[in-house]
Amino acid sequence: AQGGAQAAAKPPKDANQVSLFGHLYGQSRRTTLAGVGKDVHPAVLALGLQMSNYVICGSNARCIATLLALKRVIESYTTPPGHSLSRHLTSHHLSPQIDYLVSCRPMSVSMGNAIRWLKLEISKVDPDTPENEAKEDLCDSIDNFIRERITVADQVIATSAGGKIQNGDVVLTYAKSSIVQQTLIEAHKRGVQFRVIVIDSKPLFEGKHLARALATAGLEVQYSLMHAVSHAIKDATKVFLGAHAMMSNGRLYSRVGTAIVAMTANEFDVPVIVCCESVKFTEKVALDSIVSNEVAPPDELISPLPLTHTATTTTTTTATATPDQTGAATAGEAQG
Amino acid sequence: MPSPTIVASPGLSSFLKSLKSTPVEASIEHLISLLKRRQIRNSRPCAVATAQLLLRVVSAFRWTDVSRLIERIQLVGQRLQAAQPRELSIGNIVRRILGLVREEAEEDRDADASALSEPGTDSQPGTPRISGVRPPLSSSISTLSPLRHGAIEPLDPTVAEPDTAKFVADSAQRPPLLTSHTSYAASATAPMATSMFSLLSHPETPSSTATPSGTQSPSGRPTSATQAVFASLTQKDLRPEVIGGIEEIIDELDQVDEQIAGYALDHIHSNEIILTHTSSMTVQKFLLTAARKRKFTVVHAEAYPNDHEATHATVTGKMVNENQDELSSEAFQKPLTAAGITVILIPDSAVFALMSRVNKVILGTHAVLANGGLVAAAGTRAIAKAAKTHKTPVVVVSGVYKLSPVYPFDFESLIEFGDVSKVFSYEDGDLVEKVDVENPLFDYVPAELVDLYITNLGGHAPSYLYRIVADHYRVEDINI
Repeated sequence: AQGGAQAAAKPPKDANQVSLFGHLYGQSRRTTLAGVGKDVHPAVLALGLQMSNYVICGSNARCIATLLALKRVIESYTTPPGHSLSRHLTSHHLSPQIDYLVSCRPMSVSMGNAIRWLKLEISKVDPDTPENEAKEDLCDSIDNFIRERITVADQVIATSAGGKIQNGDVVLTYAKSSIVQQTLIEAHKRGVQFRVIVIDSKPLFEGKHLARALATAGLEVQYSLMHAVSHAIKDATKVFLGAHAMMSNGRLYSRVGTAIVAMTANEFDVPVIVCCESVKFTEKVALDSIVSNEVAPPDELISPLPLTHTATTTTTTTATATPDQTGAATAGEAQG
Repeated sequence: MPSPTIVASPGLSSFLKSLKSTPVEASIEHLISLLKRRQIRNSRPCAVATAQLLLRVVSAFRWTDVSRLIERIQLVGQRLQAAQPRELSIGNIVRRILGLVREEAEEDRDADASALSEPGTDSQPGTPRISGVRPPLSSSISTLSPLRHGAIEPLDPTVAEPDTAKFVADSAQRPPLLTSHTSYAASATAPMATSMFSLLSHPETPSSTATPSGTQSPSGRPTSATQAVFASLTQKDLRPEVIGGIEEIIDELDQVDEQIAGYALDHIHSNEIILTHTSSMTVQKFLLTAARKRKFTVVHAEAYPNDHEATHATVTGKMVNENQDELSSEAFQKPLTAAGITVILIPDSAVFALMSRVNKVILGTHAVLANGGLVAAAGTRAIAKAAKTHKTPVVVVSGVYKLSPVYPFDFESLIEFGDVSKVFSYEDGDLVEKVDVENPLFDYVPAELVDLYITNLGGHAPSYLYRIVADHYRVEDINI
């Protein structure tokens, strides 16, 4: 992808790259099917394009979609004679699929975790198991994974985090997080009277979808853009944020702009509650948002968007609502 | 003569064109309607329009007495300010001009006093001029100085503002100051009007006030006849001086950006990464001036949704600023990239992410308040706070005309809310029914988030701004 600079017109296209982000420009993001290897499964082909165009977007959605696509890949897989499934499937059949997905858009942490888990499951398959049975087992465990680590986890988080919303609260949230949406709607269904302020930003305007969903569900919604955050925070009593990943040094890695919202909330002494499934936890650490990040192509936006995620400093997140490994919710006061 | 207005879209340029050919009252109404309809907006166009209009008001107004002129300017100023109370620069210019008139009137009166006292006191021709800087004072120390009392008293009631009179009364209640230290009394009554700079530039001031008044006071009490001569003299002399003063203010408005840009090299070093916000002309000229000598990187937050188009135009060099068409000699502003500067345009949301690499934040503003706080484009507060979080210095460039003596007791009243359609387009019409949408145009940025102000007078700490306010505005004009 090209960088965020609108440099002088005469140098070649690469001049659009900002040297500060030089390490972030890998191969340019794939937006067409041209040159894709023949062994990429059609379901994966479609998914790659959807992710590249932000049709499927968001850490959870991308994780689930990837697992479902890989399930289709496994279903249509036959072990070549002379090979065993556990040895051949991962290296020869899944790798090209994953490489293709990465070329469409860098993998999310949740996808990485899910794929690592899947590879482990495949390697655990007993070579003596009949192929059909092994494939069925793998598909079942994929379904289980999605159910346990995402669907049920979300329900648990929604109940736990929703319990923090009280009558008269004004909840501020940034962009769109599926789990925050679920939390808010669940609290509304329980009959809690509260108001929601959605802060949104260029270029994806995901918050608009959240505002629409919440308004349709009957909540009182206010919508503003990033520039209004210092105004909106004055009314807010709680801030709910979604996550892309939780770093092992306690920092939150999330949609670009999240740090500004968290910082502003911190300035005005508004508690920040982050909803994050454990599938998004990573052992990586980060100190800032520049060393590891994702750069979006500038032409998607008319104006460039160099970074898609920011690492929020730990001081600005005051509580983390997350399920532990078994899916039970822990809403710990994990003070950074 | 038919006015050539409303040829193009009404705005500052059409107003300025029509100004010469339209009667004053019609011009006032015209400007009021332009302000109300927001066809003239932003600090500088408002300031220029106000100054030009008041120039016309002063030159067309027939007056026999300075107080009438002051009343007239106050009245026009009140109407303009009421038309657009959030454009603080209107009030600033009105106050500046009022202060100018008062100063001229006082100087004039001093000159008269000296003219009158000349037959009596040949020995000290310079002193009476200074002694009368604050005429209301004379009544309270009249026992010490019969001359000053005599020369000034007749004009006193016409000029003295109620505020000042009260002030004098207050200071009169402090006898030790008044009786034993005449010089301190003088400075106590005029605490805001002159700065320490003017103290230095008029070295005769302390000496004159410290001089025992008995030595310089013979018995010269003006007759009513000389007063009449006086009044006519005053009127004749004052008009060109006031007009000249207003023209100076207009010149200042023209040159302010260049003057500020003159300080650029003192603040930007090589290979610096500078973050800025919105399409402020002042900031652009500042950076361009620095770009002639230094190479640095500019990170430009786009200020979506109210100013992003202008920001994009600034970055790409297609600057067509409709607000300043007449004013800036260069309607086409060369972009920074043409000067070899790397410009990174970023959405507002990425500010925090990049702040860790930014060396300095340079911001434009809409207005600066007396406590050092800013009323600036929405989003500025978050940027300033992000800078504070990363310990990055925040520099605000602003002309002195944006500096307002208003103290913000109610920040919210200074914030203007704008067009919601910039947040929601027509495709989202279904949502408008169900969702509240807010689009604030300004943020209030507290002074503690700003490290340095650069005005056309130089760089100042936030805590020093009150002094500049005191130098530019008179206490009696703070409420127009």
